[in-house]
Amino acid sequence: MKILRCVFGLAFASTALAAAEAGNYVESFDTIYNSLTIERTGSVVELRARSRRGEALESAVDLSDPLKLMVAYTRSLYAGLFFEPKPARVLMIGLGGAGFHRLFSAAYPDSLLQSVELDPKVLELCETRMGFKPTGKMPVALTDGRMFVKRDKTQWDWIILDAFRGGFVPPHLKTEEFYRECAGRLGERGVFISNLHSGTELFHSDIKTIRAVFPQVVLFETEGRGNVIACAVKYRTPDMTQPQNWAAVEKAVAGVFEGRLDFTALKAERMGIPTKQVERARLLTDDFSPVEFLDAMKTNNTGPK
Amino acid sequence: MSLIVFYLVVVTLGILSMGFQMLGSRLLSPHFGSAIDVWACLISTFLAAFSIGSMAGGVISNLQGAARRRSQLICALAAVVSLAVTALFGRALVGQIEIAVAAVFPGVLASCLALFFVPVTALSTFSPQCVQFLAQRGMAPGKASGLVYGVSTLGNIAGVMLTTFVLIPHFRVSTLLYVWLAVAVLNLAALLRFLRTPTSL
Repeated sequence: MKILRCVFGLAFASTALAAAEAGNYVESFDTIYNSLTIERTGSVVELRARSRRGEALESAVDLSDPLKLMVAYTRSLYAGLFFEPKPARVLMIGLGGAGFHRLFSAAYPDSLLQSVELDPKVLELCETRMGFKPTGKMPVALTDGRMFVKRDKTQWDWIILDAFRGGFVPPHLKTEEFYRECAGRLGERGVFISNLHSGTELFHSDIKTIRAVFPQVVLFETEGRGNVIACAVKYRTPDMTQPQNWAAVEKAVAGVFEGRLDFTALKAERMGIPTKQVERARLLTDDFSPVEFLDAMKTNNTGPK
Repeated sequence: MSLIVFYLVVVTLGILSMGFQMLGSRLLSPHFGSAIDVWACLISTFLAAFSIGSMAGGVISNLQGAARRRSQLICALAAVVSLAVTALFGRALVGQIEIAVAAVFPGVLASCLALFFVPVTALSTFSPQCVQFLAQRGMAPGKASGLVYGVSTLGNIAGVMLTTFVLIPHFRVSTLLYVWLAVAVLNLAALLRFLRTPTSL
């Protein structure tokens, strides 16, 4: 027993010493839904989720510059501005480390950014480690994303789907029926934005399923990490697959975004729909959604750039 | 040969029970998600059904003559009818419960009880009767109990693995529920025939 105490004591002392020396720390949390790691290096805090593929970076914030978008795909989420440049009401399913939120609320202080998060520990870590504070304009609901969409009757300008649990997306948030529920909660000119992962069979099924509900879908491939952001609208005209019909957001939002978001680079992220693979893919419904298995099946490409 | 068929029927009974749990999770997830609280209700419902079904089956196995045959028939019909209700109206029923019950936990529990409790309880009544069947044919009760529950648990494992890794990735849940119904009808018919056979195997 004494030996054990000594070992634990030494381990604790060395960890505390290392943290005190550098101001850095690594903490692990097993929540009821996730296995999470918080790592602070200098002023940067990362939130990672452990999964079968290793640790997936969920979110990051630079506490010395909270408006900076640290994770590449959170920049791509702003492609929603091309489709609905005045997002007064935004629903974000999946809080993560709130990496998207700070810049959005600075750019649109009067807009409502409602987040839905399943895991209470994620919100707690967000508040205690990543400097995020929910406000009246940035409320957080602790519930299942689909249940929130069903029960809340607000009409949203943007609905962002960015919900992951340990690196995989719950199957009930990937189905045609769920996307129809989202479409029903979108305003007429609203945009549905979903964070997808390329490189697996699931990617093609995702696109097929989104296209089954939304007549127009445009993809943006984030450089490097395999994230593809799908922006989908429920109207047919104008043709939003043509960039000339996108809103000229560069001038409209120049202030806060200056130096933080390059809309020209964002436009260049647009990628084509991998039509052949999507045609072959299976539609995901409440009755058939083998998401975990499709996600495990690798594909060779994600279509033309 | 008959004994092999009997054990196959027991294995299938196990497959039907636990494979049904995996299908159940897919029925619930569009309405209540697939988080740990949903699984807690689902697993508890199945365990409660196993428990009550086993106790009821124990009572039935000690009944005599017509009373026993009548009880066996009622249990088999209860299993088939409740599986048919789940296959035909399961999704609509969960949808209605979700609307009627605002809080998540009672909603999930009510759905689990409505869709899964009766069929699994009814199926579970047959395990003690299978033990009695073997015991009446000269097998020591302890050995008979060990064999039936061991074989049935192997069926449980097969049900979970087959449903998760083969059936759900390839077939619609609604299709699988009809398959469950058809297999249950055939399996219970075979089981009733075994349980009513007076001759030794």
